[in-house]
Amino acid sequence: MRSIQLKKLKKTLQGEVIVDTIDLKIPSGKFFALLGPSGCGKTTLLRLIAGLEQADSGQIFLGDRDITGIPIHERPINMVFQNYALFPHLTVFENVAYSLKLKKMPPATIKSVVQKILEAFNLENHLYKLPHQLSGGQQQRVALARAIVDEPEVLLLDEPLAALDFKLRERMLIELIELQDKLKTTFIYVTHDQFEALTVADQMAIMNLDGQIEQIGTPKEIYEFPTSSFVAKFVGTTNILSGSLTNLETDPYIDIPQLGRFKVHIPQRKDWMKEGCPVIMSIRPEKIFISKKEVQNFSNVLKGTVHSIVYHGRSTQYNVMLPNKTRLQVFEQNEEHFTQEVIDYDNEVYLYWQKENAVLLEK
Amino acid sequence: MAKRECGAVREMKKIFLFRDYPFAIGIPAIIFQMLFFYLPLAILVVGSFIAFGEEGRLQGFTLEKLLFFMRAPYFKVIGYSLLLASGNALLCFLIAYPLAYYLAFRGKRIKNILLFLLIVPFWTNFLLHVYAWFFVLERQGFLNIFLQKLGLIHEPIAFLNSLFSVMVMMVYYYLPFMVLPIYSSLEKFDTRLIEASYDLGASWRQTMKKVLLPLSSRSIKTGFFLVYIPSFGEFAIPELMGGDRQMFVGSVVAHYILGDTTGSLGAAFTLISCCALIISATIWFKLIDYLLKRCVK
Amino acid sequence: MKPITALARTANLTLVASTYLFLYVPLIVLLVFSFNSTPFPAPWTSFTWRWYHELFSSGPLWEAFRNSLIIALSSTFISITAGALLIFYATQGGRIGKALVLFYGNLIIPEVVLAVSLLGFFSLASIPLGLATLILAHTLLGLGFVIPLIYARFQELDHRLHEASLVLGATPLQTFFKVTLPLLRPTMITTALLVFIISFDDFVLSYFCAGSSAQTLSLYILSMLRSGISPIVNALTAILLILSSALVLIFFSLRSRTKLF
Repeated sequence: MRSIQLKKLKKTLQGEVIVDTIDLKIPSGKFFALLGPSGCGKTTLLRLIAGLEQADSGQIFLGDRDITGIPIHERPINMVFQNYALFPHLTVFENVAYSLKLKKMPPATIKSVVQKILEAFNLENHLYKLPHQLSGGQQQRVALARAIVDEPEVLLLDEPLAALDFKLRERMLIELIELQDKLKTTFIYVTHDQFEALTVADQMAIMNLDGQIEQIGTPKEIYEFPTSSFVAKFVGTTNILSGSLTNLETDPYIDIPQLGRFKVHIPQRKDWMKEGCPVIMSIRPEKIFISKKEVQNFSNVLKGTVHSIVYHGRSTQYNVMLPNKTRLQVFEQNEEHFTQEVIDYDNEVYLYWQKENAVLLEK
Repeated sequence: MAKRECGAVREMKKIFLFRDYPFAIGIPAIIFQMLFFYLPLAILVVGSFIAFGEEGRLQGFTLEKLLFFMRAPYFKVIGYSLLLASGNALLCFLIAYPLAYYLAFRGKRIKNILLFLLIVPFWTNFLLHVYAWFFVLERQGFLNIFLQKLGLIHEPIAFLNSLFSVMVMMVYYYLPFMVLPIYSSLEKFDTRLIEASYDLGASWRQTMKKVLLPLSSRSIKTGFFLVYIPSFGEFAIPELMGGDRQMFVGSVVAHYILGDTTGSLGAAFTLISCCALIISATIWFKLIDYLLKRCVK
Repeated sequence: MKPITALARTANLTLVASTYLFLYVPLIVLLVFSFNSTPFPAPWTSFTWRWYHELFSSGPLWEAFRNSLIIALSSTFISITAGALLIFYATQGGRIGKALVLFYGNLIIPEVVLAVSLLGFFSLASIPLGLATLILAHTLLGLGFVIPLIYARFQELDHRLHEASLVLGATPLQTFFKVTLPLLRPTMITTALLVFIISFDDFVLSYFCAGSSAQTLSLYILSMLRSGISPIVNALTAILLILSSALVLIFFSLRSRTKLF
């Protein structure tokens, strides 16, 4: 069993609560991502699991085993550090062989195991080099190899790709996914980059600046159905409109001052939803259809003026000024070289969306 | 990571035995230091206040020994030592700063050779240098013979056993102490500050005065004290090269220590001199600070 | 730096040149005359190795040399070991930062004062003066260098490396030997070299704390000095200069390699 369970884990540092009574279950054998803004305590949480920090209260379980009091070196958990932490005085080979030597494996076995894994990472030509002679990407792979060579139950990754450039990062993300798939080790990946998290995770959790878990779910669940405005705003971009919830029983609407009433879809009735209560509607920019023409078949429509246009290559972003002086962001995918309709600055446009594509959040 | 203990350290603290012991105990280095450095010093200080009767028995508390040394001749000795130390430090500074400047900024190619040449004498036995200067400065020594051969003088000059020979040797010995700290600080100096100063129209003199000197103040102070404090208590150089004309603190202390059954007279004098040293050092400290601040005006 | 006048630059250069001349003329003169067949003040007669032969066959010299060597090696060894133990304690979470200040006094205090206080202590504790007391005294000097220098380097180390080692399964003790010590090794070697030299060349402490039994190199030279100029000492100077140069070379080459980690 390689699952990690945190029960009411709390950690305070210098008077500040870093990790606030967290309950979290990380399933065995999956790629789990912990996402949150810088300073939210996600790294501390990771270090608590590794044993590098001691919690003030609460427990950590590895499978059925309570590992809260077990020292770092006895936990079958390895970690890949943000700056790799490769031993500068040891060669690549010696770095990777480090944990195996500690286990007193026979030298011949060590040699074959290490060579095999370095071949898998395309590093067989660099066996006897020192870390400073390698590039960033190569060092990263050595750090990875070093951490998985003794087959830990859980692998912790602390923003391992932060120091790499964009293209390299994309490639490494794919390699990480494939690696986890092959090893079936539980990966716990901490990052503040939502793109990374959404890409690699089977399951993810969002952590806020108060040291609490906001939401847990698959990337799709988190992206499409955020349960709070924090999650909605942190993961991806979104448009937030506030109003009050009306006509709850029959045909629910959100009533937004100066803009009108818009149909909403309530998949599951929540406790806080009451007739007339204040509510937030979150709608992602890519879910809005923009056009100068009148179009049928959409549950909701809003009129506005194009304020600015940003060209992103794959898509174009329109910032549309609404009658109530707020702005709405719209993404339109550039599907064709020559669009039928050209939308320009100061054009009057219609914004359409289906009620199912918006999410209602508690205010 | 400097101020916050890293998690690993805290972890180890909880696991390892050492957490159970107050930190001062159990560490060989600290025990050693306490036992053989601070304890003897404490004994020294205390010893100055204790009266010994016949056969060196403890008799009681007394200021007699201290008062014994609060007399003119001893004040003179202390005064001369302060002068010696100050003069030495100043001379060293005047020679060392341009040297350090050259090493740091100018002599790019031969820098390593020059550093090497500077350190080699530093790492050679002290007495050999004394001997070397003997050789040069003696009545029948190299310098005298040389000058006579040139016809500049007719009779050998007594270079040795004078304040001159003492000063020469002092500077000779203490120079690296002043050069090295200043050099290492100047080497790391941000030359863009100097360029900026020139850019703004300052002459090199003004730049030296207003930019270089003040910003290297820390290393100047370090060098100064590495020279000043030991110079004050310098025993060997005045003893070997100074003759008996003027006694300095070091020689007086040695004289009393070696010639006294309890050694506590020497202790008392050491105590007084150290007080003088600390007071004068503090004054110098403030003076240097003040002078460097005045440079910037 | 254009604004510096040519005059100033020449002045600087002249000063530097004369300083080095000042430093080396006595030594060079000494070296030259170590090969003179007749002792000074006689002028140059002929080239000879005689004084070097006499030097190497001098029994007391070798004894003094041996003693100095023993003392220097011992005090270096003790202070370095003490330093390593202190670092180990630091890795276990011991707060050393404040204790560090305790060691600054060793180098600041005038050596005479140190010698005097040690003498008082030794006589009080009825410890006979000799090699052991000298080793003790020199170790104090050594600690004054070792502790601050090695601890400063220790603080510069990336502590994530210690964490990585622990996470990979090494106990704190194993981490100390496999990670901490190797990373500190260059600094330890250069510091050891420094302490060795300081001890080997020391005079004041030897003068006071050696007693009548122990003869160190410094004291030997002193006794020779008292008997006037002798070419043997010239020869000795030459030899020791070569030794020092070798040590400085080693020191320099180690310093440049330290930059790596």
